[in-house]
Amino acid sequence: MTGDDLAERRGMETDVYQPAEDSGLLAEAVVERGRGRFLEVGTGSGWVAEQAATEAADVASVVATDVNPHACRSARERGRAAAPEGNGGIEVVRANLLDPFADDSFDTVAFNPPYLPTDPDNKWSDWMERALSGGETGRELIDPFVDDVGRVLAPGGVVLLLVSSLTGYDEVVERAERRGFDHDVVVRESYPFETLSVLALSGK
Amino acid sequence: MKESLMDILCDPLDKSDLELEVDERDGDEILEGRLVGTVTGEVYPIEDGIPNLLPPDMRDD
Repeated sequence: MTGDDLAERRGMETDVYQPAEDSGLLAEAVVERGRGRFLEVGTGSGWVAEQAATEAADVASVVATDVNPHACRSARERGRAAAPEGNGGIEVVRANLLDPFADDSFDTVAFNPPYLPTDPDNKWSDWMERALSGGETGRELIDPFVDDVGRVLAPGGVVLLLVSSLTGYDEVVERAERRGFDHDVVVRESYPFETLSVLALSGK
Repeated sequence: MKESLMDILCDPLDKSDLELEVDERDGDEILEGRLVGTVTGEVYPIEDGIPNLLPPDMRDD
């Protein structure tokens, strides 16, 4: 993966990742399995968080994070627009992964990570690239997320993690198992260049 | 952010408690202010209703 590939994939948008196939799959899983206190990590435009706030009957409250300030503002605007019809809108926090959240805080944690394996010489130059690039392995953000997510998850909680075949499905599952999670596949779709799955990690 | 969010937030540096200082509210929404680490003393700004809880070394973007 080169900078040019990323540039092509990003199209015109350079500041905030907009909903795509992967977002749609994650939202489907969120509506089906999301409940209680809900966190979306790396929310981008805030679309999946909005689906959680307005379409997921068992979700009680929604928090969304992003490292990107433009994404945070986009998610906050969406939350304000959705608040009257949903369950109180979206609380937005600018954060790195799960860093500023206390133990046992959430019943559901959803994450559509940046996952494209990327040439290490290709420096992260803008926000869109950070939204897509998962480092050399594609798992640069997935690994620390899987390592820490059990901490913020309340007992009986579930993690909904989007995994691409480009990222190494087996490696992600192995890491989750080492962290003591059971897993099942909520939804899976194949596309020309990748297969996308949403894993549910549970059993904390 | 709403004040109820304080229940689940912690200092990203060491997971200790944060103290909320409010400059501007709109109803139950805190628009401007800061969160201060009770142990680290680190100050995390709240701007336009969004708390910035990035660790200090990631904040210059």
